[in-house]
Amino acid sequence: MLNRIETIMAQAKDLNTHRIQNNTITIEVAYISSLCDESKVSDFILVPFLKDELEFQKNISLNPNFIVLTDTAKWSETLLRGFVLVQLEGTVYTLDAARVIRNENPQTQVETAIMGSQVSLSEDLIDSINIIRSRYPSPELAIEERTVGNCSRTRVSIIFDSRRVDPSVLTEVRDKIMNLEVDFLQAPGQLERLISSRKRSLFPTMMITERPDRVTSSLQAGKVILLVQGSGFALILPATFYDFMHAVDDEYDSFWMTRFLITLRYIGVILTILLPSLYIAVVSYNPELFRVQLAFSIAGSRSAVPYPSFIEVMIMLFMIESLIEASVRLPKYIGSTATTVGGLILGQAAQQAGLVSSIMIIVTSVVAISNFVVPVNNMSTAIRFLKYPLIIPAIFFGLAGVAVGIFIYIVYLADLRSFGKPYFRFIGPTKRHSGDIGQVDQA
Amino acid sequence: MSRYFYYHIVLVSLLNLMLFVPHILIRYRYQGAVTSMALAVVIGTAMTFMYTYIMGKFPGLGMPEILDKFLPKMVVKPIMVFMAAMWIIGPSIALVSYAVLINRFINPDTSPVMVLILLSGVCIYAATRSTLTLAFLVEMGMLINFPIILFILLKAVRSDAINWDAIRTVANYWTQMPNLQSVGAASYIFTGYVSFAIYNRLMPPNIRIRHRWIIPISGSAILLLTFFVPIGFHGTEAVENYLYVWSVTADSLMMNYGFIERVIFMFLIMYLNLTLIYTASGWHQAIEFLKALSNSYKPSVDDVPMKRNGFIYSTVIALLTVIYLYYVNEKTTFAISGYWLSFRMFIEIGTVVTMFIFARKGTNSS
Amino acid sequence: MRLKGAAVVLSLLLMSTALSGCGFKDIDKRFFVVAMGIDLPDEGKGFKVTLRLAVPSPKTEPGSAMSQIETIQSQTIAEAVRLAKSHVDKELDFGHCKIFVLGEKLIKQGYNDVLEWVTRRRDVQSVSYFAIGRPDAATIVKVQPPTERYPGNALFLAFGTDGTESSYSMTAYAFDFGRRAEEQGLDPVLPLIRKEKAMENYYITRIALLDKSKMVMLLTPQETQLYNQIANHFGKSTVRSKVDNNNMVIAANSVRSHYDIVSGENGTHTLRLKLRVSGIIEEAPPGVYDQDWGKLEAGFSEQTAAEIKTMLEKIQKAGVDPFGFGLRYRATHAGSPKTWEAWQQIYPELQFDIRVKIHIEGTGLVR
Repeated sequence: MLNRIETIMAQAKDLNTHRIQNNTITIEVAYISSLCDESKVSDFILVPFLKDELEFQKNISLNPNFIVLTDTAKWSETLLRGFVLVQLEGTVYTLDAARVIRNENPQTQVETAIMGSQVSLSEDLIDSINIIRSRYPSPELAIEERTVGNCSRTRVSIIFDSRRVDPSVLTEVRDKIMNLEVDFLQAPGQLERLISSRKRSLFPTMMITERPDRVTSSLQAGKVILLVQGSGFALILPATFYDFMHAVDDEYDSFWMTRFLITLRYIGVILTILLPSLYIAVVSYNPELFRVQLAFSIAGSRSAVPYPSFIEVMIMLFMIESLIEASVRLPKYIGSTATTVGGLILGQAAQQAGLVSSIMIIVTSVVAISNFVVPVNNMSTAIRFLKYPLIIPAIFFGLAGVAVGIFIYIVYLADLRSFGKPYFRFIGPTKRHSGDIGQVDQA
Repeated sequence: MSRYFYYHIVLVSLLNLMLFVPHILIRYRYQGAVTSMALAVVIGTAMTFMYTYIMGKFPGLGMPEILDKFLPKMVVKPIMVFMAAMWIIGPSIALVSYAVLINRFINPDTSPVMVLILLSGVCIYAATRSTLTLAFLVEMGMLINFPIILFILLKAVRSDAINWDAIRTVANYWTQMPNLQSVGAASYIFTGYVSFAIYNRLMPPNIRIRHRWIIPISGSAILLLTFFVPIGFHGTEAVENYLYVWSVTADSLMMNYGFIERVIFMFLIMYLNLTLIYTASGWHQAIEFLKALSNSYKPSVDDVPMKRNGFIYSTVIALLTVIYLYYVNEKTTFAISGYWLSFRMFIEIGTVVTMFIFARKGTNSS
Repeated sequence: MRLKGAAVVLSLLLMSTALSGCGFKDIDKRFFVVAMGIDLPDEGKGFKVTLRLAVPSPKTEPGSAMSQIETIQSQTIAEAVRLAKSHVDKELDFGHCKIFVLGEKLIKQGYNDVLEWVTRRRDVQSVSYFAIGRPDAATIVKVQPPTERYPGNALFLAFGTDGTESSYSMTAYAFDFGRRAEEQGLDPVLPLIRKEKAMENYYITRIALLDKSKMVMLLTPQETQLYNQIANHFGKSTVRSKVDNNNMVIAANSVRSHYDIVSGENGTHTLRLKLRVSGIIEEAPPGVYDQDWGKLEAGFSEQTAAEIKTMLEKIQKAGVDPFGFGLRYRATHAGSPKTWEAWQQIYPELQFDIRVKIHIEGTGLVR
């Protein structure tokens, strides 16, 4: 066995192969030292073998951790997953001794909540499932495993509540994952783009989260969860637009305040999408929309600006986007410096230099801040883009152009489906006995 | 799922402003507009009730499928083309008059042809979506726009500037005989039901349209508002001078404490949305009728069969609309709109009665 | 697929070049007209148009309002406005023009041309204010009150409901003016703005009554207040009476009025007008608390009724109908053109029956 393994994995320096012998028998052991917990190897194999208190053969056959592997083609794959191969009298056994380097007790960082769970999903599949199962102690919780990626062989778990899940969604997910053609899979975001029906969608049709409480409440709502080995994020599907506007805190905090916050988020989204284009439309086409005072003060503060309004907007948006991007990319220690310097420049100097008007600075900061009220990060990023296309109709058609642009977005949203489920339907299906529209066709 | 039915009813009844209905009624304010409106309420309600009966008899079937059941193919095909044409004219008039309205009130320096190209481009995109998407679009559009429009209407009614004496004066002319153009225009308010020529495909088998008494009430309320509020604002005489009478009425309102002071901008944007939704939904139905000409066509609500044909048809429709605006002026559009409204009423009565006979037949034979 | 996307982008770009620039004009490249005055020219025919243009400044402090005045004379208003464009360096924008002042001489000659222009212009707000300027519109437009925070603010506040609400002025919106100018049985009214010599300020205390083409008469400030009480139920007003050579004034809290036209025997018609005012005494001789309030009220009522009657008869003689009595007659009688003809016979002979009821709620903070 060892010879074969050594020829397959000749390039791997961290491959450990031993042929050891005690009084009675000889075994062959192979594992990749960097992937395995060496203490496990010695505890389970080397020590009992050398001590030989209980007959090692018996030991191996009694211990359920040792599984017989008959398919020789799978040797390398199992080794690469952190298993130890043991050959004893012609039979090959495997032992899981994987040591996965991950952050211990991960804290929620991307999607924080004040009173929700502070622990996030783990980068290790087993730990994540542990976290989920302990919060969802139901025998109906089904876990299926698939391997995705010709090269990465990434393990992907499909988790769902078998009683509540929508079978049509489940079948579609299974089919999609089965038919994936990809070499390397590393993150749920990548998986989302691979299995969504529109490759260039403006909106995410699946939710990415690190929060176990969001995962379990979605399970309870009959949704399907996908976990990817090596990433502490889960993919929830199907999702509607409104799910993305919903923070987990909304269920924990005071009722009225959370309703108010939900409204605030929608207003924030509308503002962040609309303000830049509205600014152009109103300043350059319909200044009569403002109150007189506002119109005069904008005209006054703009009089030093040599550019047309859309150049002004583009300068400011470029600056603010660079600032956001920089603070994501920079190491944490320098990050705060960048924002301070950037903020100062945006706030004061640009206006004094006559590059932009003071109203534009307010517009920019409102746009940036209200973008971040969206609780789910992948929606927040999607929404960040939406303001740019609207600028074009605003330049050519003013207010009417902006309204038309918004209309296109609404049509697009109404046309989106998340795994066959409507994405942008405000009122869910009503009572079952009255039937839902579109049923005749689906049946 | 009655609400999807009401969305269309309300959408069309609110959209009457775009088709010069108030202007036509106001022109006949001394010659029987009031009685015509009363007559229109009766006709409209009767038609709607009959149509809901027909819908219940053919769940999940659009008008092309129903006609196919009862008539030979040779007869059905010309009817399809004719129906498609009817469905193109109304929305296109609305779109053309809106393009002109944008030119008048929002962008005086952009040519209406350019604006119309933009609007019809958007409508091509929206109309070629699936039927289910359009149903969702209508729902979202109504949910977003209706509260704001209702607010504007209520604000108008409660305004101090409204002169109730003028309204009462016009209402006193209720002894005049109704006339055809006014009845045609007023009955348009109730014509939302015809959208279910296609949208009936979405309806589940056990459909029952509940709360049907809403239809005459909401219809007459909107009709009264449409007709009387401008008279209250502009008096019995001056009101006739305004072509876009409701835009001017909206401009006469002010929100002293609102972020935007002038109501007209809100009004115009809300109606832009409604017009786009109406046109998208109308063109979509025209396209579906045209697609049904092909023998291989199989209707489907959430997929778009024969996508390419849909694009071709809608592009042709949009081109015709643009060419129309290019060659025809406001005055002719206005006249055409008046004739179309009356013509439409007769066609609809004919269609509904025929379908009603089919529906009776269908139940008796089975 | 790639190629298709590129083609779409390319065609969009091509289309956009065809569009570029139409109507795109930044706010700082526009001159906002805040007030427009229309007069008869000093000599010759046509109009003299005076525009007050706001010069925007980022500061909004009292006195920092700057404006530029342009005066142009031309055959028509439309031409005058086009000519004004050649006087200034930025595009003229009427979107914020809220005040239209018509010169007194012009309005005495006829206002129909002006109204025609205003209702046709799309950028004139239907909620802009109309007023008459004395001695002429140009003088009023040129006034620059020292307390103004931004150009035109003083006039905007005077007419709008945000600022002062005076019972001696009224607001005439453009749509209201247009409605009254054509309505059968309702005639236009406009407030009169005048300027005191050497003072940079406005005085709005009287309203003018117009017929269908020109100004007919002016009301005194006292009559103006009565008009506001009857027609607009204007609350923040006063009622005055003289008892034993002592002036007494009631500050009204609520004003209600109601009128109808009753036909009497032998074809006479009577207008029965009821006015109910209730309020608190603001000015009175000491000891008013102990007097008989009923008697005081009766005194107030009688004197006010007499004043109203005199005013109505004056208006009737002038042949105008600012209250809309004619429209009320039409509204309460059968709908036919004959009703209107009948009213034209009735109005000159109309009798007035005025019933005023004044209610004293209290005497203020002192007895």
